[in-house]
Amino acid sequence: MLAEELKQQLIEVVGEANVQDNKASLLVYSYDATPQFQSIPDAVVAPRNTDEVAEVLKLCNEHHIPVVPRGSGTNLSAGTTPVEGGIVLLFKHMQDIIEIDEENLTVTVQPGLITLDLINAVEAKGLFYPPDPSSMKISTIGGNLNENSGGLRGLKYGVTRDYVMGLEVVLPNGDIIRTGGKLAKDVAGYDLTRLFVGSEGTLGVITEATLKLVPMPESKKTILALYEDIEAAAEAVSSIIAHRIIPTTLEFLDQPTLKVVEEYAQIGLPTDIEAVLLIEQDGPQEVVDRDIEKIAALCRDNQAIRVDVAKSELEADALRTARRTALSALARLKPTTILEDATVPRSKIAEMVRAINDIAREYKVDICTFGHAGDGNLHPTCLTDVRNKEEIHRVEQAFESIFHKAVELGGTITGEHGVGAMKSPYLHLKLGDEGIAAMKGIKQAFDPNNIMNPGKIFAKSERKRVVVHA
Amino acid sequence: MRALTEIHLEEVKSIVKTGRVLTKESDRFSYSFDGSFGTFLPDAVIQTKSVEELAALVRLANRELIPLYPRGQATSLSGGPLPVKGGLVLDLSVMDHVLEVHEEDLVAVVSPGVLTADIHRAAEERGLMYPPDPSSSHVSTIGGNLAENSGGPKGLKYGVTKDYVIGLEVITPEGEIIKTGGRTVKNVTGYDLTKLIVGSEGTLGIITKAVLKLIPKPKASTTMMAIFDSLADAGKAISNMLTAGILPSKMELMDQASIIAVEQFEPLGLPVDAAALILIELDGHPAALQEEADEAAALCQSVGAREVRMPKNKSEEAELWKARKLVSPAIVRIKPTKISEDATVPRSKIPDMCKRLEKIREEYGIHLVVFGHAGDGNLHPNIICDKNDTEEMKRVEQAVEEIFKAAVELGGTLSGEHGIGLMKAPFMEMELGAAGLDMMKRIKAAWDPNNIMNPGKIFPEPGQKLELS
Ligand SMILES: Cc1cc2nc3c(=O)[nH]c(=O)nc-3n(C[C@H](O)[C@H](O)[C@H](O)COP(=O)(O)OP(=O)(O)OC[C@H]3O[C@@H](n4cnc5c(N)ncnc54)[C@H](O)[C@@H]3O)c2cc1C
Ligand SMILES: Cc1cc2nc3c(=O)[nH]c(=O)nc-3n(C[C@H](O)[C@H](O)[C@H](O)COP(=O)(O)OP(=O)(O)OC[C@H]3O[C@@H](n4cnc5c(N)ncnc54)[C@H](O)[C@@H]3O)c2cc1C
Repeated sequence: MLAEELKQQLIEVVGEANVQDNKASLLVYSYDATPQFQSIPDAVVAPRNTDEVAEVLKLCNEHHIPVVPRGSGTNLSAGTTPVEGGIVLLFKHMQDIIEIDEENLTVTVQPGLITLDLINAVEAKGLFYPPDPSSMKISTIGGNLNENSGGLRGLKYGVTRDYVMGLEVVLPNGDIIRTGGKLAKDVAGYDLTRLFVGSEGTLGVITEATLKLVPMPESKKTILALYEDIEAAAEAVSSIIAHRIIPTTLEFLDQPTLKVVEEYAQIGLPTDIEAVLLIEQDGPQEVVDRDIEKIAALCRDNQAIRVDVAKSELEADALRTARRTALSALARLKPTTILEDATVPRSKIAEMVRAINDIAREYKVDICTFGHAGDGNLHPTCLTDVRNKEEIHRVEQAFESIFHKAVELGGTITGEHGVGAMKSPYLHLKLGDEGIAAMKGIKQAFDPNNIMNPGKIFAKSERKRVVVHA
Repeated sequence: MRALTEIHLEEVKSIVKTGRVLTKESDRFSYSFDGSFGTFLPDAVIQTKSVEELAALVRLANRELIPLYPRGQATSLSGGPLPVKGGLVLDLSVMDHVLEVHEEDLVAVVSPGVLTADIHRAAEERGLMYPPDPSSSHVSTIGGNLAENSGGPKGLKYGVTKDYVIGLEVITPEGEIIKTGGRTVKNVTGYDLTKLIVGSEGTLGIITKAVLKLIPKPKASTTMMAIFDSLADAGKAISNMLTAGILPSKMELMDQASIIAVEQFEPLGLPVDAAALILIELDGHPAALQEEADEAAALCQSVGAREVRMPKNKSEEAELWKARKLVSPAIVRIKPTKISEDATVPRSKIPDMCKRLEKIREEYGIHLVVFGHAGDGNLHPNIICDKNDTEEMKRVEQAVEEIFKAAVELGGTLSGEHGIGLMKAPFMEMELGAAGLDMMKRIKAAWDPNNIMNPGKIFPEPGQKLELS
């Protein structure tokens, strides 16, 4: 509960309607898309502009009240659970596109804007914003920035970070700063822009972002390569890259994933084979034709039993949509879905897929694997039931083995979903104690009172709890 | 900050077992300057390939408050490696022993002393490309490129050094060896320390290893030269090119002063009566290239190019690029001192910046030459002067300040690629505001509480002013 005086001060800043602390609202904002993490905030506050955000932060900093910025709560690392209470900050009044600058190829937006709304608005002007997390229909740009989200087009076009040119940020003490700008090049001092990207709401509140756009590619083509052997599919991925072709999309889905997706989407996906690769190339027509031809040949060389080219954009879109629904489709099968995000160097994809299968067998758990194979970012997904304590224990062990394997292969524990509260106990695996100390130094410098999204990224204890009740 | 004592020196020598400690004045003198202005003598210079020895030195320096100056090949144009407070210069150019290309992962692993051009070569041998190509790439080290986040002509299409770094090994100012990022192209594990260290000009730590991203080498390229009767029109062609969806791999501007200088230096048949020309290179798949080239040429004509020359073969092409390469040597023949600025503006403001520069040239009666990779808004105004002429230098200092102001007013930055270093530190607050600068200081203080890493750089000292003489 907030002290009555503080509540009144908050109301003075944002208006009565924008401070909620009734039980129902608190409950709604007590969890996000991550299973098994829940925690009740003290209030939900929706500022209407940057100055109000600054006032709110100043108050919270003075009173040492935790602030948890929240977009749509679709993150998968418990990034928005208010694990230490405090206020949840909403951006429902800050959802505008401020400007599309067709000369400098930039778009400036507020953090609450839905990713897909941004993509549609710029495409209407013949421009292209590549980062496309599967959750783009509901996720916000503020969330994408703070998680440095990736998507299907990441292999060729990179992730959210690669498109951020400038930010307006409110610091924990209420100072408003601007970083970067509409410049292609800028080396004046430290790169604060990139530091905020992926910082998971722990360094400040992003109140405006200027993003880079690129021209719309002229054409695109999509194919589906079918495999009887998972490892052959993984080998094909390495082979395509080794032949100096970088497709826009290079996605992997194994049989268990295919089955559920087909059941859900009903678009005629093959379910009797072990794995498929969904591959897309874009660019000038001639280049796309040649690349796709070459990719198809390479897939066949690596034991693809069939390679189908999508006959129309409609069909291609159905395939992409099918891939995007993978997680939602899997989630319907069992009460609890745990999706992981381990990433390995691309040459290690085959090895990682093999390891995941071995680990699943060893711990007798169901793991479906799909993901952005082209950049080594896999999503091994476990279907389980939290009520089954014994099974959950095995699931935890399995995921711990997967994290270890990823790091051992030169990879990382999270490629795009972030550390949040969920993976913080594993951070030292990747960074070592010195690396964590270096990051803590930065956190401390920005947020000495630790009010911004406390309990995230940095572990409180050694306790590992992938799925244990919070 | 303390000077190095005899006792310190003994300890330094006991640490550096595999390398060298240079203390003779003649040796130290070679390390007292860089590509910018001013000379500062270090107390000693260290050369070692051993990361452990370097880390031990850092711990010693941190304990005894001795300034440390990491240094590559000292081609910095902003005073980056200058030992302005004495202490130890760490000559990292000797760490040139690791250069591995991992084809399947499309990455290269390098030690900091490797020359940029050697990375280009190693990648190209395997049909790959490492795009960042500062004009100094045959003499600059990758460590220096990383610390300065250097760019080059290819930056327009392919980005700058930062866009190609996915992992680093760094010695922190407290002497810990940390690894950031890794070999995966995707990684969101905690804060992005990699990008923080890139561009930090040696003030946050010493880079001892880097993992760089490589890309497939484009299969073909073609070049053209567009000639204009007005600098602002050339600026317009550059802005419009990008809006039209054409992304040249290089787009270099030369104004009349630089055309004339080159032509006097070596006659190449350049149009000396033109106000400006742009050199454009397009690359990509041969199947799509011609169409794009025609489009680019038409676009130049539509904004008033009086001529677009398309070379017929590779040797004619090379001739055009030679003109661009000769600008630097040609202009310094006019007067001995060259002050290279790299104020950068948003692309749409290129024509405005051109106009402002012309005005500044007249107002201060200085010899101002504009050339460079204009496509990214980085215009490279160069002032040619004589540093022994105090009266002229006064005007030059004022003009430089005006250039910085013009850039910031047009929504730009002081430095697109050369870094802040010593020279531009006094202007940081103008661009970043007090809160922004304060944030950077707090990061610096968190990592380097004793301020031993490259002290005197990036952050202005009270009352510090631009000094060129
Ligand atoms: C079905 C499904 C599919 C998904 N697919 C992908 C995918 O393909 N790729 C991928 O990378 N991720 C994916 N995700 C994960 C998630 O959607 C992304 O992380 C997304 O970017 C989160 O956006 P959000 O608006 O929901 O943010 P939230 O979950 O609300 O917040 C995310 C983080 O950002 C912080 N934050 C939000 N706004 C601000 C702000 N203005 N200032 C400061 N901090 C802020 C929060 O505190 C939190 O730490 C998927 C999730 C689901 C449920
Ligand atoms: C003729 C000429 C042309 C140029 N053209 C360009 C150009 O096109 N684009 C461009 O961006 N720049 C250009 N420059 C500037 C300069 O070459 C670059 O900044 C280059 O990256 C510096 O490399 P260096 O090895 O000489 O580093 P140095 O000058 O020795 O050092 C530069 C900075 O990096 C730090 N440093 C060096 N190594 C390390 C390390 N291992 N760890 C931590 N810090 C380190 C130093 O402390 C210093 O602050 C040019 C310079 C010249 C002289």
